[in-house]
Amino acid sequence: MATVEERVKAITARVLKLNPDEIKPEHSFTADLGAESVQSIELVAMFEEEFGIEMDEDAALSVETVGKAVEFITEVCGEQGVEAEQ
Amino acid sequence: MRLILLDSPEEIRGNFYPLALSRPLWELRCGFTSLEEKLIAKLGTSDVAYFVPDYMADLYRAKVNHPVNDTSILEGDDLLVVDPRVKADGFNVATSGPSEVGLDEQGRLLYARVAKNDLAKLGKDDVGKFIAAAKAKLPNVKPAVKTWQYIWELILGNCEQITADFAAAGRDGIEGKVEQPNVIRGGKKDIYIARGATVHPMVVIDAENGPIYIDQDAELHPFSRIEGPCYIGKKTIILGAKCREGSSIGPVCRIGGEVEGSIIQGYSNKYHDGFVGHAYVGEWVNLGAFTTNSDLKSDYSSVSVMLEGQRAIDTGSTKVGSLIGDHTKTSIGTLLNTGSYIGAMALIMTTGTLLPKFIPSFAWFVEGVVTKGFGKGKLYETAKTAMSRRKCQWSEVDERMWDAVFEMTAPMRNEAIKKGRIAMLNR
Repeated sequence: MATVEERVKAITARVLKLNPDEIKPEHSFTADLGAESVQSIELVAMFEEEFGIEMDEDAALSVETVGKAVEFITEVCGEQGVEAEQ
Repeated sequence: MRLILLDSPEEIRGNFYPLALSRPLWELRCGFTSLEEKLIAKLGTSDVAYFVPDYMADLYRAKVNHPVNDTSILEGDDLLVVDPRVKADGFNVATSGPSEVGLDEQGRLLYARVAKNDLAKLGKDDVGKFIAAAKAKLPNVKPAVKTWQYIWELILGNCEQITADFAAAGRDGIEGKVEQPNVIRGGKKDIYIARGATVHPMVVIDAENGPIYIDQDAELHPFSRIEGPCYIGKKTIILGAKCREGSSIGPVCRIGGEVEGSIIQGYSNKYHDGFVGHAYVGEWVNLGAFTTNSDLKSDYSSVSVMLEGQRAIDTGSTKVGSLIGDHTKTSIGTLLNTGSYIGAMALIMTTGTLLPKFIPSFAWFVEGVVTKGFGKGKLYETAKTAMSRRKCQWSEVDERMWDAVFEMTAPMRNEAIKKGRIAMLNR
């Protein structure tokens, strides 16, 4: 079963064209992983597709690190009745 | 006689989107002035009241000094209720006389002249019921009145309308400041430069093929070329641009590059190079450097436009550029296809390729697809900043109206976002 963290890392790696094994929870999307603003938009879109959820744009874009994204997505999955782990 | 402007039904207003998403139809421009100003000039009245779609009533009330959606005006005087689709120049209906209701071929209201003594039988609590009762109880006629059917007709009629408006204004000559050297071609009777306007050196004003009206406090920077028929609005700055024939630039714009046969509503920026032709651009639009639209297909066939993405409509014209809604921003190098519809409050970040012909309102067009982007909150923040730069204020009333537009335009946007997601997943 893939954990939320694994799925978040896989999407991040795909959008930012990185190796998933090099992505750490403490990594900042912008400062450490080099996400530009347009890639942030794509990341949010792809997280929504991956997890089948709707995220508030402002809240989603205020998430700075991979670990915080995992927490945020887990919380949204819970609120929207979606199974977070696959 | 009291003139009541009653905005058209939604199915007709849609033919004037994206500009009409945020304003009643009579606020649209053609020539020097709005459709309302033309109707008022034709009918010669200053007693005016309005009925607009509910979602824009509060904002419109804050902008005008006449009653808005106030049913108390449906009594006390002879009334002339007019649909703004009616073209003022051919509207030769007497403003007073016995009651009659003018209908189009589909039975939709064009005008209703209601004598004061007939008002009691129509009721006054609801304008919709008032009109329905007028149709049922008053004589109906099918008048020979011309109407505007689609927004691009304003663009295509602009050349002729500028010439007519120039004649109607009855002004010519130079009241502003013209610094030398300059070149003025054509008869000076075809040029009017209003008080407070400044023409810098090295400007060409070419009225050989039509009149040119430079309104108050406008400023023409060096190397600008203005070809008539052309109207430059109040406090607008032309930054070395080529303003080709048939262009109406509303107030407080900043215009560079090349503009041809286009209407710019006002308060918009196209500061840098790039071509905008046969386009209608809304308010608070910013076109980034080298934003360019096509207005002619390479096979010279007539241009079709996707209105709100529902259906492609053949304009019947070989020259139609872009329709761009209020508050939309384009990035540098944006390339707009012939007959493009770019909704209001959209943000276009291009990758240098030609855009799709329909981009919905509030879309964030990123990396070749429509996305939700950073949401409408960020777009509102940008709108607030843009307006404050011109000493205008974004208010809660603006926000409420735009929230309603956001909801109205959601189906088309959501569909486009869905397609965008699929494209992203397939990359």
